[in-house]
Amino acid sequence: MFQHYLITAWRNIIKNGLFSGINIFGLAVGFMSCILIMLFVRDETGYDTWIKDSDRVARLHSAYTMPGRPPFLTVRSAGRMMEAIRDYASNEVESGMRLIQWGLTVQQNGEAFPEEMTMVDGSFFDVLDLPFAHGDRSSSFNKPFDLVITEKMANKYFGRTDVIGETLTLCCAAEEPTVMAITGVLKDLPQATHLNVNLLIYLQPALFANNSSVLDTWTSVNVYTYFKLKPTTTIEQLQSRINYWANNESPFVQTIANDIGAMQAGSKVTDVMQHKLMALTDLHLHARKDAGNMGDLSPMGDYKMIVMFVIVASLILLIACINFMNLATARASQRAREVGMRKVLGASRAQVAMQFLSEAVALVLISLLFSLVAVEAFLPLYNELLNRELSLQLFSDPQLLLTLLTGSIIVGIGAGLYPALFLSRFMPAHILTASKGGESRGSTTLRTALVVFQFATSIILVICTVVVYGQTLYANTIDVGYQSDNKLILNVGAANGNLQSLKQELLNLPEVSSVVFSSEAPTQDNENNRQFTLIPQSADANTSEGDAAPIQQILNYYSTDYGFFEAYKITPIAGRVFDEQYGTDKAVQQPDGDNNVGTASVILNESAVRRLGMSNPQTAIGRTLESGIFDNGMHRLHIIGVIPDIYFRSIKFDIRPSVYLLREDHFRAANISFNTNDSPALTSKIEQIWKANVPMQPIHLQFLSEMMAAQYSDDVTTAKMFSTFSLLAIIVACLGLYGLAAFTAERRTKEIGIRKVMGAQISDIVKLLIWQFSKPVLIANIIAWPIAAYAMLSWLQEFPYRLEAIWLLPICVATGLLSLLIAWATVGGNAAKVAKNKPVHALRHE
Amino acid sequence: MLKLHNLSKYFQTDEVETVALNNVNIEIAQGEFVAIMGPSGCGKSTLLNIIGMLDNPSEGQYHFMDDEVAGYSESQLAIIRKQHIGFIFQNFNLIDELTVEENIELALLYHNIPASERKQRVEKVMDKVGIAHRAKHRPGQLSGGQQQRVAVARAVVGDQAMILADEPTGNLDSAHGQEVMEMLKALNAEGTTIVMVTHSPAHADYARRTINLFDGHVVTENVRAA
Ligand SMILES: Nc1ncnc2c1ncn2[C@@H]1O[C@H](COP(=O)(O)OP(=O)(O)OP(=O)(O)O)[C@@H](O)[C@H]1O
Ligand SMILES: [Mg+2]
Repeated sequence: MFQHYLITAWRNIIKNGLFSGINIFGLAVGFMSCILIMLFVRDETGYDTWIKDSDRVARLHSAYTMPGRPPFLTVRSAGRMMEAIRDYASNEVESGMRLIQWGLTVQQNGEAFPEEMTMVDGSFFDVLDLPFAHGDRSSSFNKPFDLVITEKMANKYFGRTDVIGETLTLCCAAEEPTVMAITGVLKDLPQATHLNVNLLIYLQPALFANNSSVLDTWTSVNVYTYFKLKPTTTIEQLQSRINYWANNESPFVQTIANDIGAMQAGSKVTDVMQHKLMALTDLHLHARKDAGNMGDLSPMGDYKMIVMFVIVASLILLIACINFMNLATARASQRAREVGMRKVLGASRAQVAMQFLSEAVALVLISLLFSLVAVEAFLPLYNELLNRELSLQLFSDPQLLLTLLTGSIIVGIGAGLYPALFLSRFMPAHILTASKGGESRGSTTLRTALVVFQFATSIILVICTVVVYGQTLYANTIDVGYQSDNKLILNVGAANGNLQSLKQELLNLPEVSSVVFSSEAPTQDNENNRQFTLIPQSADANTSEGDAAPIQQILNYYSTDYGFFEAYKITPIAGRVFDEQYGTDKAVQQPDGDNNVGTASVILNESAVRRLGMSNPQTAIGRTLESGIFDNGMHRLHIIGVIPDIYFRSIKFDIRPSVYLLREDHFRAANISFNTNDSPALTSKIEQIWKANVPMQPIHLQFLSEMMAAQYSDDVTTAKMFSTFSLLAIIVACLGLYGLAAFTAERRTKEIGIRKVMGAQISDIVKLLIWQFSKPVLIANIIAWPIAAYAMLSWLQEFPYRLEAIWLLPICVATGLLSLLIAWATVGGNAAKVAKNKPVHALRHE
Repeated sequence: MLKLHNLSKYFQTDEVETVALNNVNIEIAQGEFVAIMGPSGCGKSTLLNIIGMLDNPSEGQYHFMDDEVAGYSESQLAIIRKQHIGFIFQNFNLIDELTVEENIELALLYHNIPASERKQRVEKVMDKVGIAHRAKHRPGQLSGGQQQRVAVARAVVGDQAMILADEPTGNLDSAHGQEVMEMLKALNAEGTTIVMVTHSPAHADYARRTINLFDGHVVTENVRAA
């Protein structure tokens, strides 16, 4: 019996070329999308699960939510937290560990290589038990500067992996380059980890003795803190211990109680300061919501994006399934006679249904085969887009194979059940005697509803794609407020003493028109936050703005050299910018022990003027701020100018109130303006100058335009993925409509013939058919517009700078017209073909 | 009214060529009632389809009213068709999805007639053929005789000058068949030209002239005395 089902199934698939073709293509595209997305999701959700005891490891994140200030979020924590929590919650914590990421330079054979170094507590491997290739965790960190490296690093520097006992010279954790002995070699980490581990150094607290903000601090957040929990403890239990400690036993109780304004009577430490654990295996996908704008050890995943793509892929598969249901029932009249005859000959309804189900499952399995081929074909492209190394290893991965097989059988049954029930329902007499195909009104209505659903889904996807793309394009065209053309950014952090000679040599290049230093270049972020106090205006001043109490605000500050604003064509809206001629602008550290207050000039942006409670830029000029910008003592800072709000950081972030100082010890970036089209020649000249001035340090040189583009590269990837998958959805939906139109036209041949005999012209017939298929598309638009608009308006909320909501209207209308056009193009050809036939053909069709 | 001269029709199927009509010469005057008879497969339906401009001849001339229509395209034919010709088929050819009323109205739908007038005419013709009480039913819910009456109503509602009927009584019992023939006779009396294919000599007797076809040829033409 089963064999009979298979044979009929196969014959029917072969016989009905159009039906099978549309369904196999649609289902294959659906499966392909689902498999591709699944591979990506599996990779994203599998981050760090391979680490031993990963379910027992958690990281401590910090959030400061002082009333009246924007919340400060970070996945880092303060240096003293690890020990404090480990010792306090000794029943819950098995071990704890801190990690500091530090970009240093490896010096080897007279060459310099930039590397990300990871300094870790000796307990690192107790918490994160990474597999060793050579050596083991007990022999690794025993003396200062013990170094554990990965196989990749070993191969890079030694050409082999068995390198225990060798040394590497690193510059410069201390004043001088340090020679470090390799005590262990780690197996290369899989790509699926949030860790960015190449070189692990046994953390030496002495290194940071002079910089209390790294380790010896309760508030500065510069380390990553991990705990391994006892097997009997849950993260929630440890979290509640931490909260209890913070509210009752921690030093924060005292400091916050002293901080006037931050605490109202009766509130707790955890109201303004949270130390939150997050499971190791959640870090990749969920750390983003805790990360503020400081980022993580490695690029973070985006949970929302994953959810979005899972939805899109499922929709494509669903649309393909609907195609199957629609076409199978539309075709019912074709097969009604067959069903009737089978029943007359003794088949039960169940047997007939079974036959149709096996046809559906067979079709789905064939589609699965095609989709696997397609996945293999498109994986390289997909990997390139996502920057991954995903692969489909069906045979070495029985679980995946099983998932795919059961998944497709479920899809087959899901898509085939309704048609099977529908087709097997016919009473034989009804089919064999009546002249019509046994089509009831109900099934046509359901089919129309499904077409409406398909089109509504596709239209929503198109609108979303257009908005996502639009926002990305828009982001690229925003006026950031400065001139970014023809700028190179050279990282001069390693050039400490040589800045002036470097600058001079760069200026000697004919292509270079200016070189100015700054703490950050545009697009680079920082967290230089200080408290600034606006000194009240003296009461006798002839101004209405005399304020009684000093205004204190935490503001972010940048350091820029003379000529910085000129180079970026930023003109002050009040006052002036830094000018060497005045001789008073520079901020210099006062000698230790000197109680004199230093003076310097500052420039504010408009937001800072507002934040400090001044009504307009003009009134700010001449006022004075006070701040301890150097750790010893205070500076009085005269406001000499106000500049417009420029997007110094990525436009993804709001413009923050900022203060610009001229503080040379903070200079890290050289902003080079050039005037040549031959940029390769220029960059190689700059490289030579760098090599001559700063030997043994790698060069970091980038075009500002590229740095700006890099800010949007994630969005561009998302937009590309989104548009590709929505395009697929639309193609599959249109194919379904095409098939439906073809079958409907065929089913209605007789009707069309009669209409023509009655005098209908080709155009009447085409209109009739097109209108039949335009109705569902129009309804789909009415359903889709509000849903898409709502979804996109809330998505856009995330961007401080976003597409105007009004744009949604033309996008919706255009998409609606497009959907109609596509439907007409799909249906029109069929309709015209049928309408052109001579009526005799139609009438003989019976 | 119409004149066929040396008209032939071939059907090319796969390898064999079927000659359905071979050098047919027929002339039909306005107001005539003509019956076409002959054994199955001799080409009656083919002839009627060509007269009705549902199909093109392969060879020969077809003069209809003042035009030579043999070479006309489908859309040109459609215009003449809808102005002058009504059809009744053996298998009724009603549209299953439409009601009786709507099926009849279809014959007026493509003629630029206002809806109110269409409704009037449809009601009138339904009364005439005695199907008014079934106006809202679908063809599937009617008996064969009732369906044929609907088909007749549809053919006459447009007031065309000529009605072509292909075995209009083939699916009916003799009583119902008689009824349809009486309807056709009455129409002819009012001046409508009628061309009818039939296997029943009794029904052929209603016609004033009978054309006998055999294997695509006209073999005899009998004209009965009035
Ligand atoms: N579309 C077609 N393709 C091929 N052959 C055709 C086609 N239409 C008719 N024929 C052939 O032409 C010949 C005449 O057919 P036609 O339908 O005119 O016969 P008929 O006289 O109406 O027969 P009946 O009395 O059975 O209705 C037959 O041999 C038939 O097989
Ligand atoms: Mg016939």
